Amino acid sequence: MNILKNILEFKISRRRFLQASGTIGAAGAAGFGGSKLDGFTTLSKAHAAAESPSSGTVVTKSICAQCPARCGIDVYTTNGRVHAIYGNNDHPIANGKLCPKGHLGTYMLYDADRFKGPMKRTNPNKGRNEDPKFVPIPWDEAFKMVADRLNVLRDKGESHRFGLFFGRGWGASDVGVNIVPFGKLYGSPNAPIGHSSICSDGSVLAKQCTDGNASYSSYDYAHANCLFIFGANYLEAFRPYNNNMQQWGYMRGVKTPKTRIIAVDVHMNQMLSASDRAMIIKPGTDGALALAVAHVILTEGLWEKSFVGNFKDGMNHFKTGEKLEESSFNEKWVKGLIQWWNTELKDRTPKWAESVTTLPADLITTAAREFGSTRPAIALFERGAHTHSNGVLNGMAIHSLNALVGSLFAEGGLAYQMGPAYGQAPAKDDDFMDDYAKNGPHTKMPRIDLKGHEDGYLMAKNMIQEVGRNHLAGKPYKLDTALFYMTNPVFSTANAAKEWEEAVKSMFVIDTSPFPSEIAMMADLILPDNTYLERYQDAPTYPFQGFPLAQLRVPAVKPVYDTRTFADVLIQIGSRIKGPTGDYFKKLESAENIVRHLAKGFADNPGDNGVKDFDSWKAKGCWFKKPYHWRQVRGEFFEWDGNGWNKPMKPEEVKEKLLKTDSGKFEFVSSYMEHKKDWILKATGRSAEKYNMPHWEEPKYTGGGDLHFVTPKTAMHAEGRTANIPHAIALFQPAAGGNKQAVAEVHPSVASAKGFKNGDRIRIKSSVGEIIAIARVTELARPDTIVLPFEHGHWAWGRWAKGRGSHVDEILVQQSDRISGMQNFYTGKVTVERA
Amino acid sequence: MARWGMVIDLDKCTGCQACSTACQMENNRLPGENYQDVLYYTEGKQPTPVLKWFPRPCMHCEEPSCMHVCPTKATFKTEDGVVLIDWNKCIGCKYCMIACPYGVRFYTDEKPLVEPNIKDVYPGEGDLSWNPPYKGPQQDNAHGVGIQPHGVVSKCTFCYHKISKAPKGIADLSNDDAANREFVPACVRTCAPTARYFGDLDNPKSNVSRLISDKRGVRLLDHTGNKPQVYYLSGGAGPAVPSGRGGANKA
Repeated sequence: MNILKNILEFKISRRRFLQASGTIGAAGAAGFGGSKLDGFTTLSKAHAAAESPSSGTVVTKSICAQCPARCGIDVYTTNGRVHAIYGNNDHPIANGKLCPKGHLGTYMLYDADRFKGPMKRTNPNKGRNEDPKFVPIPWDEAFKMVADRLNVLRDKGESHRFGLFFGRGWGASDVGVNIVPFGKLYGSPNAPIGHSSICSDGSVLAKQCTDGNASYSSYDYAHANCLFIFGANYLEAFRPYNNNMQQWGYMRGVKTPKTRIIAVDVHMNQMLSASDRAMIIKPGTDGALALAVAHVILTEGLWEKSFVGNFKDGMNHFKTGEKLEESSFNEKWVKGLIQWWNTELKDRTPKWAESVTTLPADLITTAAREFGSTRPAIALFERGAHTHSNGVLNGMAIHSLNALVGSLFAEGGLAYQMGPAYGQAPAKDDDFMDDYAKNGPHTKMPRIDLKGHEDGYLMAKNMIQEVGRNHLAGKPYKLDTALFYMTNPVFSTANAAKEWEEAVKSMFVIDTSPFPSEIAMMADLILPDNTYLERYQDAPTYPFQGFPLAQLRVPAVKPVYDTRTFADVLIQIGSRIKGPTGDYFKKLESAENIVRHLAKGFADNPGDNGVKDFDSWKAKGCWFKKPYHWRQVRGEFFEWDGNGWNKPMKPEEVKEKLLKTDSGKFEFVSSYMEHKKDWILKATGRSAEKYNMPHWEEPKYTGGGDLHFVTPKTAMHAEGRTANIPHAIALFQPAAGGNKQAVAEVHPSVASAKGFKNGDRIRIKSSVGEIIAIARVTELARPDTIVLPFEHGHWAWGRWAKGRGSHVDEILVQQSDRISGMQNFYTGKVTVERA
Repeated sequence: MARWGMVIDLDKCTGCQACSTACQMENNRLPGENYQDVLYYTEGKQPTPVLKWFPRPCMHCEEPSCMHVCPTKATFKTEDGVVLIDWNKCIGCKYCMIACPYGVRFYTDEKPLVEPNIKDVYPGEGDLSWNPPYKGPQQDNAHGVGIQPHGVVSKCTFCYHKISKAPKGIADLSNDDAANREFVPACVRTCAPTARYFGDLDNPKSNVSRLISDKRGVRLLDHTGNKPQVYYLSGGAGPAVPSGRGGANKA
């Protein structure tokens, strides 16, 4: 605790004290004691102030940063102090509303545990119990230190040993600067490596394999009449949470007819409770349920003929257990239906699924009929269904339901996301490639995570969770320097304590978070970012409703401390790299300059809200242009012509723009997987008959215990910071936590067998370790499953997080889906005993 | 003069607690001392357990028992129907906390729910019990608005610093009304599924009156005679929990 205290009470130099803007800096620096805080009025004075509370209040249009949705926010600032955040009413996701996390940004800005300025480590020893002995250094010295290091590496031909790891950000854009050119120009395949394989790559791959779009989906909930939600906690953790709840209010309280909701999860939570039909499933078996639903849809003739096609004679020949001639069916926008039926589906009855999922067969049949006979309908899935060894197969099976009911690109269905009309960046990376960048040794090096490599994960997008073990083994090599932006793999990857945590001890580590963290404890250099209320940053929307939307983060106040926007930090480091790399970054100039250039694209494409340049973008906080351009109507595809979806599309246009598979159709039998057939067969051991179609495969449960161990995200997961926000800690929700403490949900039968009771300390053990948790003995949990939310149990996150909750990743075995690379967070098995 | 009241549609509430956090930040609440709380209940057994939740603000009763027991008349009802505490008069005897059937009052100097004590991190000056840097600009002790001084009881004010500035005669305060958005209580303004409505119960043409009529709004623990000005909607069907409104009981 003393070490953490030393970090948090970091001594501030007088110069920095004066730099820190106004009063809040004083509060932070002086340890909050005694000093008079300007801007606060005494009680007697306050009476006068109450007469005109809004005088001098400025509202800044910005965007939230507490989940990937990026809701538009109105930030209220009076006398230079932020005191309230509400949703931006002119922002299509927020519509004036916020989720519970959004409001807490006010707290995060003034978090007493923030880093106050750049620091370097003076204790060479690294470990949980080693005080880093950070000392302040000037920014220029920090930039030089990093650049010198990187220049030396490049001179030695070892630039690939630099890694840049990032969390949030898609297309690496909402970092505020495109980070891809850094690796491209400097010369490292490891700059950047994203966190998507510990996020949700399973769904991305499931969609890529079936409809050719490597992306999350956009959804038209407002027009859907039925949702079948698999392992995506729509009312607690699925994004965009705020808009989901707005849609919920509409679907359930306004819309006629009321939208039918069927929800699948491994414990009773708010989503299941609020739904019409709750299905509490055995972990890892969602795919079996989806296959049985597909079986019922086919045998009962409920599929959408206008999209899927039909038997040539117009009769339904799908009979349980009976094979069919492929020539008997005319397929329209799907490929391989009869092959899938003959090879897999014909025997996947609800009764069979009951034996796998533990859900009653009659419940499965009823749910399948509801889903199959209600149009439009959406089958939606995320991590609960796919963070398993069979994850992509589960995802493909669920996504196939969307094809069967014809909801792809349909009104009330799901589609994909269009990008914004951005202008050119201030510099083009291709113009700054020197000979080293083009032909240096790094061009022949695999990535440290073996993403895209035969020996690793050929089809994955990222493999951040395996960097630690690869580095330790020196295979393919060891990293020299690692820079982290909004990611903390030392804490958030499986078996973290023995892999990433060990690995960073032999890297030069640079962390850029404004807040303390486990990676910061291991850092050699801390270059603290501004918080999201203090910086410029653009964010093209996460897949939402398909129409293009570009949001702008605008500083509400000057940085409270001596911190700098990460984009500017990267530009400063890049500018100090020798050769044309430095020239490129000098030309970028600053994060603000970049967003000013991006905004130039709006001149020719003004947004629906009138945004046409940087100033109007800043004033409104977002640019958007409705609608989504494509729509499938009863098996015919149309393109927007300016007035309506009137322009019929040819099959080749559908293939180019929408169903991007070899066949230009939704593929139950995946050509994308067929191209990697040899590798898949070798890596997965799957049969040549079924490897490229949705099929049931028992998950490879890890850890060796007798109870499933599932670690969900909670509604209060504010990009991880929740664990150190006292207000949020007080609001942990009962379905995945408890008051003041993240608790382990355990069924009463387990508690009584093991001799503990509600509130007792329990020890949860797997083959790789053990953790202590507080038991919440509850009927919300299945008798075969322990539910304990991730994010908690931090050892260097701040004064409130310390020692609160349990660090679930310490007992998770390092195993990933061979296809997607998605870490198998929910496949663990454990034993439990009274501690 | 309006008689402000709230309607909460339980068919739409997702139990997300954005009402709680919006209020926490707007009204400088201490962690866990939620003017706007959401309570959770579990019943039943696997495989068919039941999880329920109930959003619970101060009911701003027509007949507030908290007010009637207050020895110093610190708790009072405004002429627009809001129950407030004058912190200049409150002696912190907590009698009101015992008298309130809904458990929605808080005493300043309790042991903190979450350690370390946030009040030690952001210590108050003078009378103020603490002093968060994100404190709002309003401090109005006579109406119990702002940061609690030491030794007093506090409660939901329906965001009195906002609603008291609404134009006179307005029927409803809603986030959908751009001109009057700033006068909407924080919890109502932010509610993503729009489960909360706020308006004049005495105006039969207000949206809150229409909702109570259309969906047969009920009040919590109506038998206590406190007559809450917060109504709950649930189910929307004819059969409902029996509840008297405005003196009229049986049909």
